[in-house]
Amino acid sequence: MSSRRNVIFFNYSIPCLAIIVIVIQMVVVKTQNLSKWKGGGYGMYSEIHYFYNQIHIPNLSVDSLVDVNSNLKNSLGYLMLMPNDNRIKESAQLILETTKNDSISVQLWKPVVDSKKQSLTRVLVNEIQLNNGDL
Amino acid sequence: MKYWQNIKERLENHWQLTEQLLMLFAFIYIVVLANDFKIWKLCILFSGFLVWFLIGKNAKHPISWIVILLLLIIDLVGSYFWVANHHFLLLFVVLSMVFYGYHQSNVILYKNVQALLIIVLCASVIHKLFSYQFISGNFYYHSINQGTIFKSLFYFFPDSLEIANSNAESIKELNETDPNLLGKIKLVDVFPNLRIITIVFAWMTIIVEFLAAVALLSKPKSKWTHLVLIAMILGILFTKLETGFMSLLSICGLLLCNHLKLKIVYLIVAIACLTMIITKIGYH
Repeated sequence: MSSRRNVIFFNYSIPCLAIIVIVIQMVVVKTQNLSKWKGGGYGMYSEIHYFYNQIHIPNLSVDSLVDVNSNLKNSLGYLMLMPNDNRIKESAQLILETTKNDSISVQLWKPVVDSKKQSLTRVLVNEIQLNNGDL
Repeated sequence: MKYWQNIKERLENHWQLTEQLLMLFAFIYIVVLANDFKIWKLCILFSGFLVWFLIGKNAKHPISWIVILLLLIIDLVGSYFWVANHHFLLLFVVLSMVFYGYHQSNVILYKNVQALLIIVLCASVIHKLFSYQFISGNFYYHSINQGTIFKSLFYFFPDSLEIANSNAESIKELNETDPNLLGKIKLVDVFPNLRIITIVFAWMTIIVEFLAAVALLSKPKSKWTHLVLIAMILGILFTKLETGFMSLLSICGLLLCNHLKLKIVYLIVAIACLTMIITKIGYH
């Protein structure tokens, strides 16, 4: 490499890399429902933290499920962070395998705040109904 | 007088000081994440120490920065969606230090760090502008009414703290109910006119971050640029103890700054944040 090429490389490679990571994060936020807080896009504090998302499984306690299957903890963590179709299906399959139920329903709810009405409610972001035969 | 002279000399040669602070920050951060991917990290550290002790200063490569970079890459690859945003910034700044070991140009290092800060601030502004939750003030409304930000302010207003605790309790109770029942709770404002305050504060946040980015782009060495950046860092620390990110921003600010008194401010903020990280206070 010539000296001029070296200077261009050292000057622009790191900023370009940083921009690429941000663009990837923004695309994943848009297409995969990733929380803006993560992924290296510097979107923290621009929306309510994914920690406040709520996984609802009728007639089952999420805490007790996590205790039984450690893989589920990881999967449900990803579901809160990135509640897209693939993640919810993966979690539902793991829950079905763990509980040996005939069918399972998994829902992901997000908090919605309205400062005009001074209210807090929850909206359904994603849900899945999975039967044992679908596995 | 002699002490002041020593301080002045040390701050005038702030490149070395910045490198030491960055090394300290990286070391503390790596220790914080030491529990993850132990085997890989053990191999990297062992090889790094072995090379460093055998070859030392005669090495042609910046061994210590390369080892830090590899350790950061391990965490990045293993937990890409879980690592904090300052992990990415730290990785890029460390990569700048690795490159510096080869090009030895202060100008290029300065430009790298300047560009990184501008990019981080612009990305943050874009995310906030495209978030209705943020520009409507609803995000701050949710956080302030629960007492998760401005914690230090609540110590002076015990009544507001009580309301915030009560709101947090109501939210907890709501979360224990079936969401399909579409339950709703009414939040009690911890301060009067909170809605207006949150909208103003949201736009102020965007404006300050944007101003800091523009100032860093146009006049990176100006006293006013660094005053805006310092105000932003202190404002964020007051809002929430983001000690990890703010210590890194202070270290980057120190590298870009030419004013003696402002360098002292950056140094104090960086050291305060680093000590808080070590004592596990704040978010890192």
